[in-house]
Amino acid sequence: MRPIVVKSTRVRSFFKSGVRDYLIAVLIVAVTGFLCIPLSGASGYHVVSFILLFIVTILATFMGTGAVLMASTLSAVVWNFFFIPPQFTFHIDKTEDILIFGLFFIIALLNGVLTTRVRRQEKLAVEREERTNSLFGLTKELSKAGNLNEVLSVSVKQIEMNFNSESFFVLQDGNKALSRSSRLQLNKVLSPEDYQIAEWVFVNNLCAGKYTDNYSGNPMTFYPMSGSILSSGVLVVRHDFYLESDFISFWNTFITLISNALEREFLRELANKARFLDESDKLYKTLFNSISHEFRIPVATIMGAADSLISSPGDEKMSRELYAEIFTASLRLNRLIENLLNMSRLETGRISPRPDWHDVNDLLNKVSADLKEELKFYNLRIKISKNIPLVRIDFGLIEQAVYNVVYNSLQYSPHGSEILVKANYRNNFLVLSVEDNGPGFNEASLKNIFNKFYRTDVTKTGGLGLGLSIVKGFVEAHNGTVSAENRKTGGAKIKISIPSENPNINPKFISNE
Amino acid sequence: MNNQESVLIIDDELPIRRLLEINLTANGFGVIQSSCGKDGITDAASHNPSLIILDLGLPDMDGITVLKNLREWFFKPVIVLSVRNSEEDIIEALDSGANDYLTKPFRSGELLARIRAAIRAGEKSENEPVINIRNLEIDFINHTLKKNRKIVKLTSTEFSLISLLAKNQGRVLTHQYLLKSVWGYSYIEHTQYLRVFIAQLRKKIEDDPAVPELLITESGIGYRFAE
Repeated sequence: MRPIVVKSTRVRSFFKSGVRDYLIAVLIVAVTGFLCIPLSGASGYHVVSFILLFIVTILATFMGTGAVLMASTLSAVVWNFFFIPPQFTFHIDKTEDILIFGLFFIIALLNGVLTTRVRRQEKLAVEREERTNSLFGLTKELSKAGNLNEVLSVSVKQIEMNFNSESFFVLQDGNKALSRSSRLQLNKVLSPEDYQIAEWVFVNNLCAGKYTDNYSGNPMTFYPMSGSILSSGVLVVRHDFYLESDFISFWNTFITLISNALEREFLRELANKARFLDESDKLYKTLFNSISHEFRIPVATIMGAADSLISSPGDEKMSRELYAEIFTASLRLNRLIENLLNMSRLETGRISPRPDWHDVNDLLNKVSADLKEELKFYNLRIKISKNIPLVRIDFGLIEQAVYNVVYNSLQYSPHGSEILVKANYRNNFLVLSVEDNGPGFNEASLKNIFNKFYRTDVTKTGGLGLGLSIVKGFVEAHNGTVSAENRKTGGAKIKISIPSENPNINPKFISNE
Repeated sequence: MNNQESVLIIDDELPIRRLLEINLTANGFGVIQSSCGKDGITDAASHNPSLIILDLGLPDMDGITVLKNLREWFFKPVIVLSVRNSEEDIIEALDSGANDYLTKPFRSGELLARIRAAIRAGEKSENEPVINIRNLEIDFINHTLKKNRKIVKLTSTEFSLISLLAKNQGRVLTHQYLLKSVWGYSYIEHTQYLRVFIAQLRKKIEDDPAVPELLITESGIGYRFAE
């Protein structure tokens, strides 16, 4: 795109020609007249009129209207004085010569005026096209900008390119007040006076500064960036020239586009903030409700059981059962704390897996050992594919993930049913799956099962709804994926895939004895 | 236990000390308690307990510092009992001289078993020529291993690995320690080799290599030869 260089003489030049143009016009007409002297005579002076008309037409193609008008008048005078007999007088003898002179004068004038008008129209058309292109370019750049900072830098660049003007933005701080430092020139802090003007512009939604009616002593011009819903801030521009009336509408369109783009970004930010607030509010409520509920049950169990044991000892069978209750409740409390801690580690981004080579056998043995108590009532089957290589994982995290998946399956499976845990290695991925014979997932669960605090309505054992979201977090921290589906035979299946290269074990090392 | 074994508990949490005291006394141990690191070191010196249970989060000094301090002159078993459950913490404690590590919350039964194992291991003479563990017989002089009285063919690396674990029966040996001792310093990062050898050993000595009962994995930390 060609930059439009705006100069104060530019628009005026259509109406006023420079002194130079007048001088050139006079000179050219004079020289032409002089060169035509040999043609003066009874028959030649008609030819001279054509030559002069031609010269005027030529002049009209590159000179202003004033100069062209003067050239046509001058050429009429020159033709009359030097060529129409009687020569060297303004007197014209023949009636037809008077007629020709009149026509010459009119043709010269029309010719000059029409040619400059055509030229002007053409120039305007080109200019309009350039402006349209500029606006089009701006729109394109703005729509490409993905965030506030990009919109700002695009705007500053475009203003620089199209108006040769330095500019920067002072934006609102998100609370409908203007922020003190300007954006995109972060090292630059507005002087108190400039800030005052910016604030005035922001509040009153009017322009101020140079070339305006308000604070016109300031070297910069301040434009409010206001949209239909909110004002995003103030644009500060250092104009080196006055914007003429037909140019100002271009400028206004230009900054309106920028203003709209800024508003769009601000609204997007607001929407994000609102969603975040909404989410954290919901999170807080859920957390509070579930924590008080979830913690109270095991605490109540422990209190009740311990109380019975203290107040009425003796019955050995009952005592045994109460002890078992206390133990189970404390396991449950411990699991809750573990899950909350893991969740907070995930939330604060403090999960950074430290992978090392591990044996999948060890992994699944650890899970089944940790779930020994719970697995008493189920039939756990572990199927590890033959020749599975060592896998590179963070043992603690993946163990916790598999533990949570298996534990989740136990919650929904009838006693005595089979829980099938499979481990495979395919295409550099460790694939772990847990299948149960419970009710499976309904459609809503399939979508949400890995979301924080999501609990299916068939939840019978409570829980915070954190277990599977922790699985997701831990697996994703390994660049892996986790998915849920229903088995064809009924029951749920959860699959974990974790990328793990084949360990490069030098066979020489192994057999080197 | 014939002569009463005494256990020193260094832990600032009174409920934990009380719980341990109840458990240990009921199982025939004498109990000494200290609530901070400084007292713990003094008590260890004056009472010379058979075993120390050490918490890491002490009010006056870090448990690891206490452990290192103790290890300069106290050679009986120390079991670390802490809420710190990260692999680094556990490895650091083991490398600083702890014989074992248990995280809170813990199961009393498990703790008692570990205490007994640690005391027993401490009593064992280091240079027994032959060790019998369950159905295994390891002969360090002839470099042979017998399972159910039948010789199992082991490579020399396999034999050094299993000897090391067997001599420290019941004690967790960290990956780094095993790699360093069996293969040398330059292999300290190559856990995969260790895993491969452990898997090979399990195939040779375990009844069901998929569910090992002799060579126990301490996830992320190391291996232990079962009691």
